[in-house]
Amino acid sequence: MATGGNVAAKAEHAHPNEKVYIKVALWLGAITAAEIAISYIKMPNPAKIAALLILSIIKFSAVVGYFMHLKFDNPTLRKPFITGVILAGSLYTIVLLAFTLHSNAAPR
Amino acid sequence: MVEQATVAAEVHQTSTGIENTKLGMWVFLGSECLLFGALISVFLLYRNHALGGARLHDVYDIPFTSVSSFVLLMSSLTMVLALAAIQRGDQHRLRTWLLATALLGMTFISGQIYEFTIFVHKGFTVHSSVAGASFYILTSFHGAHVTVGILMLLSLYGMSTRGMLPQERSTAVEYIGLYWHFVDIVWIVIFTLVYLIPAPK
Repeated sequence: MATGGNVAAKAEHAHPNEKVYIKVALWLGAITAAEIAISYIKMPNPAKIAALLILSIIKFSAVVGYFMHLKFDNPTLRKPFITGVILAGSLYTIVLLAFTLHSNAAPR
Repeated sequence: MVEQATVAAEVHQTSTGIENTKLGMWVFLGSECLLFGALISVFLLYRNHALGGARLHDVYDIPFTSVSSFVLLMSSLTMVLALAAIQRGDQHRLRTWLLATALLGMTFISGQIYEFTIFVHKGFTVHSSVAGASFYILTSFHGAHVTVGILMLLSLYGMSTRGMLPQERSTAVEYIGLYWHFVDIVWIVIFTLVYLIPAPK
């Protein structure tokens, strides 16, 4: 029992200091500004959507990794959350694709 | 003090080495992803079903919502600074950052209420179309989560002022912080998928 606890404790890393949090927040602000700029730029929709999704994923990962400490905490904690994210992402992507590809099947 | 520390260490002994409450919190947040995933999917599916009325993309104000998003994003910073403060035993800074987080959350909610009022005046209501209903259900669910978060933050503030939140109980701030950051990441997704990504013609 104690060995399991010790192994788990070794897998954890020290949380970052306040300067790191402020740097991450500034990057998040800058990425948000970039997202807004992209939404106004005239460019093909697929490129715009891809750029916005990538920036959104970066912001999401930064908050989860640094502010929620998932990057530094015990790796076991990642499993339930990442499972939820992947399950939600894949399940609803399939649902949306199903309705989009068979638009006649879309409920009205 | 030594006794308290011993008791705390005993409570934290689990087979995984992780406190059960913390693991439970992450499982809860994982399940919340499915809830918000469903609501976002419904909106994406129905956003063009405006029945000839106003569509979201006809009524929204990107600069205004961007400021609201930035406010919520910065509340995540103040939240993590509150956690850092209690972990080093700085009660004064803890209270300052908790209050700042709650105020930023209230600003976000006020912005959302203002935005809803504008939308309703422009004819985009919960009854106007399926698109309207799915939009208001999604954003109101998120708003309700933010409101619950604000109440929890104010409870923590009250506990701290009464001396009921010593350094040893920093996990309480950590768990509520996890919930708050989750509310923030959900908005990151909503802001991109609902507001920024152009709706198909």
